[in-house]
Amino acid sequence: MLAGTIAWIVHQAVFEPGTASAWPWLGLAFLAVITRHGLQALRDWAGQQLAFRVRGDLRERMVATAARIGPVHLAHRGHSGAWASRYQEQVDALGGYYARYLPALGLALAVPLVLLAAAFTQDWVAALLLLFSAPLIPVFMALIGMGSQQIHEAQQDRQNRLAGHFLDRVRNLDLLRRSLALDAATDEVAEAAQGYRRLSMRVLRVAFLSSAVMEFFSAVAIGLVAIYVGFALLGFLDFGPAGQMTLFSGLFVLLLAPEYFQPLRQFAQSYHDRASAVAAAEALAPLLREPPLPQSEPEPLPAGAAPTLLRLERVSLHYDPDGPPALDDLTLSVAPGEDIAIVGPSGSGKSTLLALCAGFIRPSAGSLALAEPARHFAWMGQRAHLFHGNLRDNLLLGAPPETGDRELIAALGAAGLRVDDPTLPKGLDTPIGEGNRGLSGGQAQRVALARALLSDSRLWLLDEPTSALDPETENDLLSRVLEHARQRGVTILLATHHAAVYGRMRRVVRLDQGRLREDGDV
Amino acid sequence: MSDWGFLRQVFRGSRVWTGSAYLLLALTWAAGIALLALSGWFITASALAGAGLLLGLELFTPSAGIRAAALLRTLARYGERVIGHEAVLRVLASLRARSFASISQLPIASQRQLRSGDLQHRLTADIDTLDGVPLRITGPVVAASLAVLAATALAYWLAPWPAAVLLLATAILTLAASLLAARLGQARGRALVERRSRQRVALLDYFGGLADLIAYGRADSQRMLLDDLDREQARGVLLQERVALLADQAVQGLVATTTLTMLALALHWHAAGAIDAPVAVLLTLMTLGLNEALSTLPGAFWRTGESLQAAARLRSLGVDPGGRPARATTGRDRTEEGLLPDAPTLHAHDLGIGFAGEPPLLTGLDFSLQPGQPLVIHGRSGLGKSTLLETLAGERPPLDGTVTLAGREVGAWSEPRRYRWIGYLPQETLLLDTSVAGNLRLGRPELTDQALWTALETVDLAQALQREGAGLDYLVGEMGRRLSGGQARRLALAWLILRDTPIILLDEPFSGLDGATEQRVLARLAPWFATRRAVIVTHAPERLPAEWPRHALQPATITAGRRGAMRHHQT
Repeated sequence: MLAGTIAWIVHQAVFEPGTASAWPWLGLAFLAVITRHGLQALRDWAGQQLAFRVRGDLRERMVATAARIGPVHLAHRGHSGAWASRYQEQVDALGGYYARYLPALGLALAVPLVLLAAAFTQDWVAALLLLFSAPLIPVFMALIGMGSQQIHEAQQDRQNRLAGHFLDRVRNLDLLRRSLALDAATDEVAEAAQGYRRLSMRVLRVAFLSSAVMEFFSAVAIGLVAIYVGFALLGFLDFGPAGQMTLFSGLFVLLLAPEYFQPLRQFAQSYHDRASAVAAAEALAPLLREPPLPQSEPEPLPAGAAPTLLRLERVSLHYDPDGPPALDDLTLSVAPGEDIAIVGPSGSGKSTLLALCAGFIRPSAGSLALAEPARHFAWMGQRAHLFHGNLRDNLLLGAPPETGDRELIAALGAAGLRVDDPTLPKGLDTPIGEGNRGLSGGQAQRVALARALLSDSRLWLLDEPTSALDPETENDLLSRVLEHARQRGVTILLATHHAAVYGRMRRVVRLDQGRLREDGDV
Repeated sequence: MSDWGFLRQVFRGSRVWTGSAYLLLALTWAAGIALLALSGWFITASALAGAGLLLGLELFTPSAGIRAAALLRTLARYGERVIGHEAVLRVLASLRARSFASISQLPIASQRQLRSGDLQHRLTADIDTLDGVPLRITGPVVAASLAVLAATALAYWLAPWPAAVLLLATAILTLAASLLAARLGQARGRALVERRSRQRVALLDYFGGLADLIAYGRADSQRMLLDDLDREQARGVLLQERVALLADQAVQGLVATTTLTMLALALHWHAAGAIDAPVAVLLTLMTLGLNEALSTLPGAFWRTGESLQAAARLRSLGVDPGGRPARATTGRDRTEEGLLPDAPTLHAHDLGIGFAGEPPLLTGLDFSLQPGQPLVIHGRSGLGKSTLLETLAGERPPLDGTVTLAGREVGAWSEPRRYRWIGYLPQETLLLDTSVAGNLRLGRPELTDQALWTALETVDLAQALQREGAGLDYLVGEMGRRLSGGQARRLALAWLILRDTPIILLDEPFSGLDGATEQRVLARLAPWFATRRAVIVTHAPERLPAEWPRHALQPATITAGRRGAMRHHQT
C-alpha cells in the first residue's frame, strides 16, 4: 500500500502536474506506515509471547522430570553443570522456533501470494518473473540446510560439555594446583573453547551462506524486474502488457519486489532458528523420558498386626542391562524401630541398596513395598550436599519451619559440631558455598546428621555417616543417634564397613557382589 | 578501568578484523541504499524517456550499477558476517582460557570463596554475552554512520540542503534515542545477568542436592522456587526482547515517515524545477534504504547493560582483558635454580595453626620428618588436623612459628617447586570428571599405561576395574560418582603414588576402605613409605603399623595458656 501510494504520487506529480494535490495521498501513505509497523510489532509480540510460554513450560517439565527419575538416574544423564546449561541455554535455543520460525513460515506462504496478486493486476509479465524466481530459493536453501541440524546438535552438545568441563575444573582447582597441572588444564580449557568456537562458526557459516544465497536470488530477481520495467517504459518491449506500462505500475512493481522477497528472506534466516531448535529438542527429549527400568511404584504395606516398614522381595537391579547385576535376588524385611547395618566391601552395592529403599531407583526384577512412614526418610549420602545459603538454612531443610535457633544449636551439638567452632565464624549465619566450601568433609557430614536429627523422619538412610570422624567422636555420635532413634522409634539403615560401627547395631546384613547374607545365617 | 574500558581492551587485539567487518557492513548497507536509489532513478528516467520527455538516456551504466550493487551487497554481507563472527568468537575463546588462568592464579583463600556455579557461569554465559558489543553495537554504529554520511553527501550534491539535513536529522535522532535507551535499559540488563547467575547456582543446588531435597520433602518447594526464578527471569528477557522489537518498528516507522517527507520535499523541488523527476525518486528511495542501517540500533543499545555487567563480573576476577594467558609454571624463581636437594627436609618449629583472626587451633608443634618413619598424627575430630596439613603444605600461613622446607620457609618456595616436593592428599577426595587414566596422568602426561596399572595394583583397584570390563578409559563421573566411595579414595591414592614426591601429606588416606582392603593396600605401600618422609593424619592410628611414631593432638586450651599441647609417645 505504501508502495502503491508512493508510486501513485510520483506518477501524478511527474505526468499530471497540478491535476491533484499530493497531500491526501501522503496522508494515506502515512496511515499505511503506522498500520504496517503496528501490525508487525503485534506479530513479533505474539511470537515472543508464545516462545516465552513454551520455554517456561519446558523448564518446569525438566525440573519435574528430574525429581521423578531421581538423583541416581539424573547423574547417569549428565553432570549437574550440564543439566544447568541445558536448562538455561538449550531451552533458550527452542525459543527461536516459536518466536521467529513459525511466524516467518506463515508469512512466507501468505505475503508473497498477496503481493503476487497485486503485481498481477499491474503487469503479469513482471509478476511471472517474481513467481518463477521464488521457488528456486527454497530449493537452494534446502541444499545448504541439509546436514545443518547435525551441526547444530554437535554444537549444542559441545556447549553443554563445555559448561560441565568448566564446572569440573573450577571445582578441582586445588587438585590441579597440587598436581602441577594448572597450565595443562588451562591449555585444555583453551582447546575446548577453541573447539566450541570452530563448531559455532560451522553453524553460523551455514546460516550465513543460506541467507546470502537467498539475498543473491532476490537481488537478481529484483534486478530483472527493474530492467524489464525500465525497458518496457522505454518502449523497447511491445509484447503482452509491456506496452501499457506506466510509471505508476512500473514503480509499484519495483517497490513490491523487495517486499515480496522480504518474508522469504526472513524465512531463510529463521530456518536457522528451526535447525537449532530441532537439535535442542532432540537432545532434550530423551532426557525427559522415563528411565528404561520398569516403573513399578513401590507397593503400600498395610499396618497389620506384625508391622513391616519396608520389604524387598527377590529384588534384582541392573544399571546396565548387559553388565553384572548391582543387586542380585535380594530379600529383606525391615520392622519399625530396627537398626540395621549394611556391611560389605566397597563396591558391593551398599549405596545402591540405600538408594533403592529411598525410592531413587526401581528394581529391575522383584518388588519393593513401603509402609506409609517409610516414605518420609532422612538421607545422608556419602558426600553430604550442603546448599548455598547459611548454616541455619541448611539445618532447617528437614526441620519444621518454626524450629528456633536454640534447637538448631542443640542438634548441631548432638551431631558433634559446636556452634562456636572457629570454622563457623558467624555461627548459624556462617555462609556456606555450594561445594561445601568453608567446611571440611567431616563437618559437612555432621551438619547433614544434625539435619536428620531435626527432622521427624521415621526412617533414616545413612551411607557411611561417620567415615570422616575419629573413633571417639564416632562412638559418641553413634550413641546419640541410636538413643535418639530408640526414643522416637526411628528405623535406621546404615551402610558401613567399620566393625566399630556395625558392632553397635542390633542387626547386620552383609552384601557381597550384590548378594545378601544375614549375620547369623551362616 | 571501567566496564567499557575492559570491553575495549578485550576486543583490541582483533581491531583489524573487526574493523574490516565494520567496513564491509557499511558497504553492505551503502550497496542496499544504492540499489534502491538507482533502481528508482532508472525506472523514472526510463519512463520519461519512453514518453519522449528525456533524451539521450544512457542505459548501460545504470543497469550495470544496479547489478553491481546487488552483487556487492550480497558478497559484502556474507563477508562481514563471517569475518566479524570469526574475529569475535576467537577473542571470546581466548578470553575463556585467560579467565580460567586468572581464576587459577587467584590466591587460594580468595579462590575458595568463589562459588563454582557462579564461576562456571562467568566462563560460559557471561563471556558469550560480550559478543553483543562488537556485533550489535559498535559495528552497526560505525557502519550506519558511514552509510548515512555517504547518503547525506550524495543528497547534498544532488538536491537543496534540506534533503541532506533531513537524512542527518533522522540518523541523529535514532542515535540519540539509542543512547537514551542504553541509559534507561542498563540497570535492567545488569540485573538480568546477575539473576541468571543466581539461577545457575540454584539449579546446581537442585540437580546436585536432589537426594536430600526429596528425602526432606523439599523437592517440590525447591522446584517451585526454580519455577518462580525462571518466570521472573523469563519476564525480564521478554521485556528486553519487546523493547528491542518496539524500538525496531518505531525506527522503521520513523524512516518511512522521513521517506514520505522527503517525497513531499522532492516533489516540491521538482515542481519548482530545482531537481528532475528521476532524482526526486532517487532521494525518496534512498531514504527508505536507511531502514536496514538504523532499525536495530536502539534495541541493541537498550541491552548494553547485559554486556557491561558480564564485563564487570569478569573484571572482578582480575581477568586480564588483553594479551596471552599467564602461566603458572614458566615464571621460575631464579633463586631456586642451582643445587636443590632431591630429598628435602620438612620441619615444624613452635608451630601454631588456625584461622587468621581466630584463637589458634593448635600451638607449639615441633617435629621433623624422617624418611621411612611416617609421622602418625591423631586426635579428635575438629582439632585442626586438616588445617595442620594445609599449613605444612604451604597453603595456609602459620599463625605462629615456622614450617621449613629444605631450609626455607615453606610458603617462600614457588608453587611448582613446592608441589614437586610435597604430595598432599586432602580429606575430601578430588577427582576430575574424566577417565581413570586422565586422573592418574594429571600433571604427568608422560606416564605409561604400565605405570598406571602398577599404581592401581598397589591400591588394589586394578582387579575391580578389570572385573567391570572397564580399563583405564573408564569414566569416573562428576566428583567420582561412578565409583564407590572406597574406590574413589583408592584412585586418589594411586594419583598420589604417581606424583612421586619425596614428602607426602596424607589426610585420612584410607577412609571409605574396609579393613581387609586397607591392610592389603598398607602392605603394598610399605616400600613406598620406606623412602619417603610422610605425615599421616588419622582417627584410627591403631590400624597403622605400630613402629611408626605417633603424635596425639590436644586442643590448644585458651585458659591453660599456649604452648606444649602436643604429647609425644613412641610406641
